[in-house]
Amino acid sequence: MAVASKPATGPAAFQRRGRFRPGDTVLYVLTLAAALSGVVLLVLIARELLMEASPAIHKFGSGFLTTEAWDKLDPHHPAQKIYGARSFIFGTAVTSFGALLLATPIAIAIALFLTELAPRGVRGAVGVLVDMLAAIPSVVLGLWGILVLGPFIVNTLAPALHGTLGWLPIFSTKPSVGSNVFAAILILTIMIVPIISSVCRELFLGVPQELKDGALALGATRWEVARGVTFPYARAGIAAAVILGLGRAVGEAIAVTQVIGNAVAIHWSLFDAGDTLASRIAGQYIGADTRIKVASLVYLALILLVFSLIANLLAQIIVRRVASRHRAA
Amino acid sequence: MRIIATKRNSVIGLISVLLAAAATVGAVSVSGAEARSSAGEISGAGATFPAPLIAVWQQRYQAARGVKVNYNAIGSGGGIAAITQKTVDFGASDAPLSPDQFSACNGCVQLPWVLSATSVMYNMPLPNNLHMTGPILADIYLGKITNWNDARIQKINRGITMPDKHITVVYRSDGSGTTYNFTSYLNTVSRQWRSQVGHGTTVNWPTGVGARGSSGVSGVISRTEGAIGYADIAYALKNHLKYFSMQNRAKRFTRPTLVGIRSASLADRKFSPTNELSIVNPPARFRKAYPICTYSYVLLRIQSQKASLLKQFVTWALTTGQQYGPPLVFQPIPAYVVARGKATLRKIHS
Amino acid sequence: MSTPAAPDLFRSERIRRRRAVSRSVELLATAAALLAVAVLVIVVASVAKRGAGALNVDFFTKTPDFAALPGQPTGAANAIVGTGVIVGLAILMALPVGILTAIYLNELAPRRLANVLTLALDVLNGIPAIVIGIFVFVLFVNGHGQAAWKASFALAVLMLPLVARATQEVLALVPNSYREASLALGAAKWRTTFSVVLPQTVGGIVTGATLATARIAGETAPLLFTSSLAGNAVSHDPSQPLSSLPLFIFLSAEQADPKLHEQAWAAALVLIGFVLVASLIARAFTARSRQRLTGER
Repeated sequence: MAVASKPATGPAAFQRRGRFRPGDTVLYVLTLAAALSGVVLLVLIARELLMEASPAIHKFGSGFLTTEAWDKLDPHHPAQKIYGARSFIFGTAVTSFGALLLATPIAIAIALFLTELAPRGVRGAVGVLVDMLAAIPSVVLGLWGILVLGPFIVNTLAPALHGTLGWLPIFSTKPSVGSNVFAAILILTIMIVPIISSVCRELFLGVPQELKDGALALGATRWEVARGVTFPYARAGIAAAVILGLGRAVGEAIAVTQVIGNAVAIHWSLFDAGDTLASRIAGQYIGADTRIKVASLVYLALILLVFSLIANLLAQIIVRRVASRHRAA
Repeated sequence: MRIIATKRNSVIGLISVLLAAAATVGAVSVSGAEARSSAGEISGAGATFPAPLIAVWQQRYQAARGVKVNYNAIGSGGGIAAITQKTVDFGASDAPLSPDQFSACNGCVQLPWVLSATSVMYNMPLPNNLHMTGPILADIYLGKITNWNDARIQKINRGITMPDKHITVVYRSDGSGTTYNFTSYLNTVSRQWRSQVGHGTTVNWPTGVGARGSSGVSGVISRTEGAIGYADIAYALKNHLKYFSMQNRAKRFTRPTLVGIRSASLADRKFSPTNELSIVNPPARFRKAYPICTYSYVLLRIQSQKASLLKQFVTWALTTGQQYGPPLVFQPIPAYVVARGKATLRKIHS
Repeated sequence: MSTPAAPDLFRSERIRRRRAVSRSVELLATAAALLAVAVLVIVVASVAKRGAGALNVDFFTKTPDFAALPGQPTGAANAIVGTGVIVGLAILMALPVGILTAIYLNELAPRRLANVLTLALDVLNGIPAIVIGIFVFVLFVNGHGQAAWKASFALAVLMLPLVARATQEVLALVPNSYREASLALGAAKWRTTFSVVLPQTVGGIVTGATLATARIAGETAPLLFTSSLAGNAVSHDPSQPLSSLPLFIFLSAEQADPKLHEQAWAAALVLIGFVLVASLIARAFTARSRQRLTGER
């Protein structure tokens, strides 16, 4: 029996013995069914959401994305209301990119610290602690945001920022309540730092030591090694990590809805209330008492789904390309 | 064949134990479920407005009849949605169902079972029961008046010096019957509000910050100096918040008391075909009326498995239950409302 | 050593500047790491300090009563039991499917199909929990009623990619020689998988399941749609909506009553405690089983 020339895995392995093994067929069928569940779920999710959102898609079309209104009186039909996603798309963009702006440098710095700078013992402990940050449930962060961070922003942080940088549009108002866009950005930052940092940590550890040693031998300082060797090598992976963090920030509903103030408006100042796609769904779905309102909320969910699908696919493609490049190398 | 302690056997053993445990939990749960339903239990959800009184009803009714009533105060919008989606046995809403909502609910009825008032609360180092008028309130919520020392506010509160403090407007972010009541009132006192914002369980608020539930609004107001918001009077009293004396159509400043509510309830005694009564901003001849009062409705399905339990509970609430209202500033409903409710209940069957 | 005429490479202006830049970057990186640790400590300390006070026997045995009189003891017993039931059922739903999926993808599938299905799982992983919540609501709850098992289903959908991926990774670590030896001895493929390959991966599967459980134990969004209209009494009936710790925290946080805030902190402490302990155990397990597997080679 030429075992070495036949594959050890895959369906071809079944034919090797030439005898019918019912157990193998059962295994095959069961596991295939299980593995298909992922695809089936994806298709079902898309289908159910599309069906449920269809009254709103029908009524508002793609103008939904550019309308800034929610429960707004329809001047042409007095008993009906207009819904639109624009202020929430804006809110999602501001909070997510704001959080990314704060989180990315911090996360990369942490990853650098944990892979290059820290002594061996500290590395393990601090690494575990940073990962623990990711384990905090979002509702607990939201609770902390309402009762601790909010008052801190109102009493200390906002007056300081408004006082010194109040000429900047983003700090141009002084909040009286702790529920505002700024609080949401801070909470989201806390959430995505560990995600970006753990991916970057793996990336930096994967940089071949020879490249780093070569740079050091040429007289580079630690920072120059990072800037000239580590970052370029891990560049695509860092991009994927950032996109993953973005996906997480975009999809966060609970913590954001607890601290963002739930207002339908586009303001320049971060200290005003606002709302995001996920947060609006979380806040209003339970109380949505008309069909068009439910459909509009599911329409919001569709926009959210499309965006997170794109972000995720992008990150996965980058990750796979990086992995295949490293395998080839 | 001896069973030896190999890793494989321990895995099989572990899996068997887990499956057995799961089966036990499942069996216990299912049997527990059957035992529970025979004792009598009904679940409801909806408005936060009547929630303080319903909480008392839950205790009293279980003591009296042994039936457990569950109630989740998720807002009137949630109550309407829940009864429509058949996730509860009864709903509660201060906002009456619209024709569209009736058709979406497909076999629902509503009847008023609670009567109270919406207070307009504030947090300022000033005396309680400051004067406030409808037009000024509308302009505050429109964002046209932004400071406590505005001349119009000062004018109706002679003798008190209004401090310089930004007004933080607070509203209900969830689907709320109290919002429906409050915005219906603003519709009657401000043409700009009526054309720009309108009324409903949720509206496009021009300014301010949102909070969930009457408790949420009360919470934000108690934490924020300069804040103004609205909720059932029971919440203002429970959280020791100050509330305005509102000017009614007879040009008097009245407070949300039992007297003010009873006077307002006389303004509409004629039911709509769907049992709706509207007592917002009563005409001037009701001199003692508080202008922001409302009935709250219970929503039931005409056909329900728990029909008899529901009929018994609602009948009890309409009659015996009303006596527990006054300490929480819920005015007992008039006799003609009770009669109408009982007549509506006769339609319900299993 | 350099001759007196050549430039001193170790003391020139440029090298000093470059070293200074590098050192300040190192300082910033250290500061960033300390900032993250500080935030963690602040949050956990807040929860511990404010929650410990309300963490008494009443909390674990009494039930909530939003209309309670001032002296009346209340607690979160129904939320604790409810979370146990919902999470337990979710594990029971997700674990078998996840393991079977990983077996297919790693042992049986042709390479192309395995890549596509793995991609599908990774995409599923990135779908926000609130979208999954709406999906399960539309599929199961609308028109039929809420139930704890429907909440478990939603959480299981969230867990599935995590369990599958963790199992896949451990399966890939098992050397091919084991499989080949077993097949050479005449064992069927299913025998090989369950008797030879899988037992070696138990540690990794448990780790993956623990991490996935820690992740979903704190999820609130799917519960909002599937198990939010629960009664106040303690119950473990999965066909009815059950209370849960995350929802308890969510709803108590926005109440006006400070006593409810205290209970929210206590519930947060219980939740954080469970999640952190589970994560730490899983991590310790990973380190040990990886050591064992790679040590065996």
